[in-house]
Amino acid sequence: MSGRRDDPPAVAAWILSRALPESERDAFLGDLEESFRMDILPHRGPAAARRWYWAQALRAPLFLRGSGHSPRTPLTAHGDGHMLNTINDLRFALRLLARNPGFTSLALLTLALGIGATTAIFSAVYPIIMQPLPYPHADRVHMIYEREKKDGQTSYLGYSTFADLARDSKSFASMAAMGQGNVTLTGGDQPVQLETQRVSPAYFDVLGVHAAIGRTFRAEDDVQNTPRVVILSDGLWRSRFGADTSVVGKTITLSDVPFIVIGVMPRGFENVLAPGAQGWTPLRYLVTDPWGCRDCRHLRVVGRLKDGVTDAAAAREMDVIFGRIVHDYPDKYSSIGLVMPTVQADVSHAARPVLFALLGAVALVLLIACANVTNLLLARAALRQGELSVRAALGAARGRVIRQLVTESLLLAALGGGAGVLVAIGGVRALVALSPAGLPRTAAIHVNTPVLLFALALVAVVGIGFGLVPALHATRADLHNGVKQGMRRVGGASRITRASLVVSEVALAIVLLVGSGLLLRSMARVFAINPGFEPAHVLTMQVNAGGARLANDTAVRAYYDRVLAAVRSVPGVEAAALTNQLPMSGDYDGQGVHIEAHPAANPADDPSPFRYSVSPGYFETMRIPLIRGRLINEHDRADSPLIALVNESFAKKYWPGADPIGQRVSMMDPVKGPWLEVVGVVADVQQLSLSSDKHDGIYAPETQWQYADRGMSLVVRTKGNPAALADATRGAVWSVEKDQPIERVATAAQLVSQSEAQRRFALVLFEVFAAAAFVLAVAGIYGVLAGTVTERLREIGVRAALGASRGDILAMIVRQGLGLTAVGAGIGIVAALGLSRLLTSLLFGVSALDPATYIAVTAVLGVVALGACLVPALRAARVDPIATLRAE
Amino acid sequence: MPPATLGELEQLVLLAIARLGDDAYGVTVRREIAVRTRRDLSFGSVYTTLTRLEAKGFVASRVGAPTPERGGRRKKHYLISAAGRRALHRSLNAIRTMARGIDASWEMP
Repeated sequence: MSGRRDDPPAVAAWILSRALPESERDAFLGDLEESFRMDILPHRGPAAARRWYWAQALRAPLFLRGSGHSPRTPLTAHGDGHMLNTINDLRFALRLLARNPGFTSLALLTLALGIGATTAIFSAVYPIIMQPLPYPHADRVHMIYEREKKDGQTSYLGYSTFADLARDSKSFASMAAMGQGNVTLTGGDQPVQLETQRVSPAYFDVLGVHAAIGRTFRAEDDVQNTPRVVILSDGLWRSRFGADTSVVGKTITLSDVPFIVIGVMPRGFENVLAPGAQGWTPLRYLVTDPWGCRDCRHLRVVGRLKDGVTDAAAAREMDVIFGRIVHDYPDKYSSIGLVMPTVQADVSHAARPVLFALLGAVALVLLIACANVTNLLLARAALRQGELSVRAALGAARGRVIRQLVTESLLLAALGGGAGVLVAIGGVRALVALSPAGLPRTAAIHVNTPVLLFALALVAVVGIGFGLVPALHATRADLHNGVKQGMRRVGGASRITRASLVVSEVALAIVLLVGSGLLLRSMARVFAINPGFEPAHVLTMQVNAGGARLANDTAVRAYYDRVLAAVRSVPGVEAAALTNQLPMSGDYDGQGVHIEAHPAANPADDPSPFRYSVSPGYFETMRIPLIRGRLINEHDRADSPLIALVNESFAKKYWPGADPIGQRVSMMDPVKGPWLEVVGVVADVQQLSLSSDKHDGIYAPETQWQYADRGMSLVVRTKGNPAALADATRGAVWSVEKDQPIERVATAAQLVSQSEAQRRFALVLFEVFAAAAFVLAVAGIYGVLAGTVTERLREIGVRAALGASRGDILAMIVRQGLGLTAVGAGIGIVAALGLSRLLTSLLFGVSALDPATYIAVTAVLGVVALGACLVPALRAARVDPIATLRAE
Repeated sequence: MPPATLGELEQLVLLAIARLGDDAYGVTVRREIAVRTRRDLSFGSVYTTLTRLEAKGFVASRVGAPTPERGGRRKKHYLISAAGRRALHRSLNAIRTMARGIDASWEMP
């Protein structure tokens, strides 16, 4: 290290060697190094010597000034003159910035926020939408869905359909079906619940990834009644197995069943199709399994196209195959074809509108920020008119002056961009923390090289963009006049430019304000929706029933009864019940229901409402109102007559004008039943989210369902704060069986609010951007008017001297400011009418053209703009005509 | 064209070169001025002046030998030219003439 410290700083030397003309380079650098070693280093020590060298280097390029080069034959004659010019320009610009700390900090802050926010949003857009997924030839990996005839929605595939497609397709090199799994890993200190993915053997081949240790699946792993195998994720391997490579080949216990570990996936493996999966097991389905049927549509299918097969060719082939399948099994399909998006499109599909809306919004903020900085630069350029005129008079070419000014703005943009990257790093953290659960690839959102390159490009565009306008202005003006008039006058052209900048700022701010106003009103509408139950004072958690002690349905149901009894005895608990799917928790369990009164020609076309398996007391605990008939009670046992309840939407849709009570439905066979008698109608519940329009639901007693669910949601109505009872409730569950994992503990109110997380995410960011835009635009109006008043001081003095009253002058300035605002608002409203349509997918219950929003936004901006006009206007009104004229 | 005049820095640098004889190059010129006048000029200023003097024909330069303490770079030696000597003479004469008679009142305590 010491050797290096005794050498001249290499960077400084390098800069110098680039900046010096060749004739002086060796002598100068040599002299500097000789002095460094002989004079400075021995006396002052290495640190001071290096500082000295830097100081010398930074002052060095000055030595060519006036050294026989006239300004008209600029230094470009030298080979390295450009570099020298640039360094001189930079030093000059730095000095200027340092001399105007007010201007500099305001401009830097504006730019840092604008560039930082844009970069932060881009860092989310990049991995989700633009970056190819981290698989080889990711564009060849496609999802395969059926498209439903009923509503045009896509649905998953039944195993038999998948098996046919995989067997017959020539377009796909490999194809895999996937389901979710949930297992309990035992053998450590505590049992842990693991999320797994159950996949057919080709899954990893489709993605094109290999195991880091061991191997991935082979066809023989998928054969029933052979030893079970499992592949571990890197995270699980590290956290539970201490990153022990010898785990491969060992047997671990998952839900009391032994599994042989055959592989560990690499650390960087990003499993976008099931980001939470900690392990993989083979699917092990047969087409003859009851759950392998064609209308058991619960498997996602993914395939990799063969090299050279186009998307269109694959789609044609698959359509033919699927058409044949539907032809062979007409009563199993209500689908009208297949849909095959790329995995990339599929994964980013939901997030796309939000991200694009946010990118658009933040781009508007950046534009406003640039407009503001341009305004600041213009105002300053006006003050520098004298300096620039002198330069021109001394022979500086126009291009040379423009270069100086653009260098200044680029420097400003670079400094702002540097600070902006810091803003972006913080912003990305906030973004990921705020992001809704559905946002894919959040782990890949960070400030990386492509994001930094984006920021760099922004700096370049922004720096040249807002620098060129004032530079062209400043140099176009008659520079001779500039010399004569000093700094007093500003060209009319510049005033027009500044006015139009303010107009565009106001217009952009209106667009953003309208956007966030629409989102805000949507949010209010959404939260005004009745969820169908009373979320206040309700605690929820998922309880599981697994393991050898709960091996059969009887044991599981007895366990659930004891859990309910234990929880109901917790002090502060009013009521408790169980349900197989919990509203707004992400649960989605649909079931085909056949109605006895009007059988469908194709049973596959029958309704598929949400199916709820609930314990007695569920409706009372959730406070779901009973409309007709009766609720489920303790007498509805497995051996009593089979019953069902439907909700209002279902009753109205399928028995219009008839009494639903006493009607019969089947959730099994459309002909043989068994038939369930409808005994009651309850109010609709929002299952998916507040804004969802999917309502149809059917309820049956848990005890009467064909099997006992191994995971049920416990709902608990409490007297006080539900969150406060979480521990006591958990303790009560564990008092029954201490090894059963408990998951997703949340209050119902949290679930309701989370169900709109994506909307909230967009709203929060839009509000932040709109607020920034608003402040910047108002600052812009104020700045321009304040500048105008300063420039027109003499004219105002003359007017006052000629008898204009204070009121006249006040009105004149306010009129000017409000005029600009009005023009900007007009343009902004027109733009917002067009642009807010892009938000449509995020709006709810509010038209993109909602007049109230437009009026409110314009009014608010108008009032604040008036305030911003009044301050400079009052200053103008106080102008003393005598003093002003005397100052001439 | 009237004979070129010398600026203060030009005078100092020319005087330093004159004193240094055949050992005048950047480092020694700067050191000579620093030692005698306690003015710590930057190399930038020294070179600006040297380049200007050379352009006016007051000094001539020749490239010398590289030495290790210079990172193997060559020196540029300067010699005062006849025109330089004349200009220096003129300039110092002017100063002496102008200062004559007021020296006493300028004596520092």
